[in-house]
Amino acid sequence: MSHLHIPDGVLPPIVWIIGAVLAGLLLILSARSTRHLGPQRIAFQSALGGIMLAVMAIPVPITAFDYCMTLSGPVGVLLGGWGGFQVSFVVTLILALMGQGGFTVVGLNTLVLGLGAVLSRSIYLMSAQRWGPAHAMALATAISQLVSTLVWVLTLWLSVRLTPRIAGQHEMAEGLRFLQGGLLLTVLVPMLVGAIALESLLAYGLARFLSRVRPDLLPALPGLDHARATAGL
Amino acid sequence: MINTFAQIDYLASAGRSPWHRASAISKMGLTLLFVVLAVFTASWGTLLGLLATSLLLCFSARLPVALIGAAAATPVLFSAVFVFAHWTGDRVEPFVLLMRPMISSLTAMWLVGTTPYPDLFAPLSRVLPRVVGDSLFLTYRAVFALLERMERLWKALSLRGAMTGSPARRAGMMGEAVGTLVLSGFDRSHRLYQTMLLRGHSGRICGCRHYLAPTREDRWVLATALWVVALAVVLGGWRPA
Repeated sequence: MSHLHIPDGVLPPIVWIIGAVLAGLLLILSARSTRHLGPQRIAFQSALGGIMLAVMAIPVPITAFDYCMTLSGPVGVLLGGWGGFQVSFVVTLILALMGQGGFTVVGLNTLVLGLGAVLSRSIYLMSAQRWGPAHAMALATAISQLVSTLVWVLTLWLSVRLTPRIAGQHEMAEGLRFLQGGLLLTVLVPMLVGAIALESLLAYGLARFLSRVRPDLLPALPGLDHARATAGL
Repeated sequence: MINTFAQIDYLASAGRSPWHRASAISKMGLTLLFVVLAVFTASWGTLLGLLATSLLLCFSARLPVALIGAAAATPVLFSAVFVFAHWTGDRVEPFVLLMRPMISSLTAMWLVGTTPYPDLFAPLSRVLPRVVGDSLFLTYRAVFALLERMERLWKALSLRGAMTGSPARRAGMMGEAVGTLVLSGFDRSHRLYQTMLLRGHSGRICGCRHYLAPTREDRWVLATALWVVALAVVLGGWRPA
């Protein structure tokens, strides 16, 4: 849901060019902020990128479609905003090379996935002290997925609006628009809720496991002893 | 997906067509030309010519028909959704929207099916920040081991009954399984990076310039580039009545 499988040549150039420029700028900024990080961090980042790709391969049948999980929320929590953004870029670039989404939408895909990752760390830090790592990870994932999906929908809406040949008063187009409105409520919204719930539960399980086995991989909570926080769950 | 990844990786390294011997940089340039022409042209003639040429590229690289079919068909579904959203009664526009992504996807398949990943990523890592360039290589290397491990893990979980019960329980179990993947992936990538450092890693993976070395087969790439530019010039304004 929060990943644009849109191929090349479908979105209007203005949308994907702006997306590419923005993603490029953010990538440069992220590289500057993570310049001091050591090889261990690059290894962790790459492992999580590989896991994102692996998890995307798990088919989750929701209605007639297979939902593609992204793990962008947990990756953002574990790596922080900039790291999550870089991983999103690497993953979308590899996917584009494999024919999953176009080259021209790599920037937009990075923004959509990366935005979720950027938000999730802050949400986790705000909620982990109160509810523990597992619940905080689930909440961060749910909110980041929701925001990513909204940006995804906004991108598609913008693309349709900015296409010069869009229907005006055409009768059939009006009919289709009505149908799309109905589809949105009856199919897409339940799908979205199901997908967010699934991804959040997955994140919950992941955080519960990490807090038991390797709590040092979870972000340290400010002003709180980490061991106590994880023991409280 | 693991099969597709592995198959493409094997084809890129073990293929023996002239395209496999052409330099990576020339093939990347040709792919870029195809994508730019496909995205910006509205001419049916040019798009048909590009589609036929991209199919010819894939077949002459001896890529399996199933892979070529998948590359052509995958973007059609997503384009069809957009065609539906755009429908204005014009019967020409949907075909343009369907052909563009097919051309791009087929050319991408030709590129990754004829170019080993170090040659493919080396020029990209030159223009990307170091941390992102290194991450690109390590992520690609990690994904094969992780996909294999994940498939084994999934089978074990299913056999032991972890995939029964309520959806919440199953998703929680899946999360824990992903947790073990995180740990093994982290350990594996860490070991790999430490090994690279011990072997004198200079701070940038694949500092080689092999991808730039021109070969005799580059003339085929150049000829194809000239052919598609000629197509765009000659058929640029053609649309069916």
